[in-house]
Amino acid sequence: MNKKKNRLLRAVLVLTAVIILVPALVIVLWSFTGKWPWPHIFPATWSLRTYEELIFGTSPLPGLLGSSILLASIVALLSTVIATMTARATEIYRVPGRQLIRYAEFLPMVVPGTVFAMGFQVTLIRAGLNDTMTGVVLVHLVCGLPYAYAIMTDMTAAVGDALEEQAQVLGASGTKAFLDVTLPQLVPGLLSSFSMSFIISYSQYFTTLLAGGGQVKTIALVLVPYIQSGDRALSSVYSVVFVGSALIVFAVFEKAVKRANRGMQQ
Amino acid sequence: MKNRRVIPFLLLIPFMLVTAAVIAAVINVIVQGLGYIKAFGLTTFTLDYYKEVLKRPDLVQSLLVSLKIAVFSAVFASVLGTLVCAALIRCRRASGGMLTIVQMPILVPHAVVAVFTVALLTQNGIIPRILYAAGLLHNYSNFPDFLYGTSYTGAILAYIWKEAPFVAYFTLALMKSVGETLGEAAENLGASPLRSFFDITLPMSMPAISQAFLIIFIFAFGGYEVPLLLGATLPKAFPVATYIEFQAPDLRDRPYAMAMNGITLILSALMALAYALLMHRMMKKRGVRA
Repeated sequence: MNKKKNRLLRAVLVLTAVIILVPALVIVLWSFTGKWPWPHIFPATWSLRTYEELIFGTSPLPGLLGSSILLASIVALLSTVIATMTARATEIYRVPGRQLIRYAEFLPMVVPGTVFAMGFQVTLIRAGLNDTMTGVVLVHLVCGLPYAYAIMTDMTAAVGDALEEQAQVLGASGTKAFLDVTLPQLVPGLLSSFSMSFIISYSQYFTTLLAGGGQVKTIALVLVPYIQSGDRALSSVYSVVFVGSALIVFAVFEKAVKRANRGMQQ
Repeated sequence: MKNRRVIPFLLLIPFMLVTAAVIAAVINVIVQGLGYIKAFGLTTFTLDYYKEVLKRPDLVQSLLVSLKIAVFSAVFASVLGTLVCAALIRCRRASGGMLTIVQMPILVPHAVVAVFTVALLTQNGIIPRILYAAGLLHNYSNFPDFLYGTSYTGAILAYIWKEAPFVAYFTLALMKSVGETLGEAAENLGASPLRSFFDITLPMSMPAISQAFLIIFIFAFGGYEVPLLLGATLPKAFPVATYIEFQAPDLRDRPYAMAMNGITLILSALMALAYALLMHRMMKKRGVRA
């Protein structure tokens, strides 16, 4: 009975993997497709048209990738720093009203991104930040922060401040004790908070459209019109680049987290 | 030691600035939705915009469609995600390659999920082609119209594809620790694996599962690009309709869009409140029992 059930659960996993991976493979095929008429299972003719458009077209890839990655990195860096500071205030300094702060941290999750972006536009215009990179960073930051808070709050509470206090007793200044003792222990949390915020910023469409007014170009902003125009080959090639670059960034970070964890054990 | 009192408040400054941005946006939505925009010469507070939005049949349809997308996406993603999570733990695949695959949809942006859905599920997508090759489908027009139809099945399937793995990933740590301690204890005392899962592991994992449910519900309810790219021309999903109103050429029509945003906000807040009450009751019940 037990074995039979495990076989069933294993089948669930295999099916899950197939459902997750097949669409990605189909999209890779589509990106090289010239013609793919019904009812062929594989494309009838192959073409590199989409890759030519990608590299030499209206929004050349290097600039587009560069600006998307730069934007997401700035958001991720700020979000990780802010989350670390906030977690330190609530978990180590135990400021009064910290329960209220913890609720407020999740406020952006309760306000849908579309509502926030439309409501915030007036404020951005008043501040002269509409259609600017700064405005987009600010709006993306709001979307990514709850996840960064959750990661850094757990991490900070787990690390605690016992070792840091000991360093201070032994004569280290507060700053030095934090930088030399606590910060290295927080590295795994910092990295996962960074990669989570990166992915959230990288994936944004509506908030970028509203705060950036088309002036701030990201891969998502270029991709959506291609999907709307029904050009499957072109929307596939941008999807491949979009997911591919996200996977590479994520893999790099995963590796860094592993190295950091190993470093801590030594 | 004086520093110890000042530092925590300095640390909180950026958090407060970001929170102020969210609160400013919410206040804008509420005030403008009530018809007050001084710059456009609108200076009286009124509930008329809310009333008029709720009187328009197309907008009510939109609201219902968005609620449907949110409910179906959240329910199916939570159930399937929990199943995948349990399977990962039972089959000892909670780390390594299989987990990496399950994490993948979390990295895939919603716009790309829409591309996936189109490639697979349109009437000349890969799935109807495979069915045709297998002799199960005579003509592509016999394949159900999942996309661009009023049922929004394509949008719901897209959300499930992306969010079920999120539920599995989000629940994994808690379910694993519960399963390894209390779940195994129950099995050692003679409970069947199925019974120990449904009586112990699942209820104890509910805090994570229900939080994931809430996140997906609010996300799918307020989501823009998935229903825009996969949905019907009429009725449009509520956020899509809201953005159209938002772009109205006469700026004095802005309160309509903001009243619509207000409705989205109220329903999301109610959902969050229901979740908070449920959690509170669950914790209390458990506290009494223990």
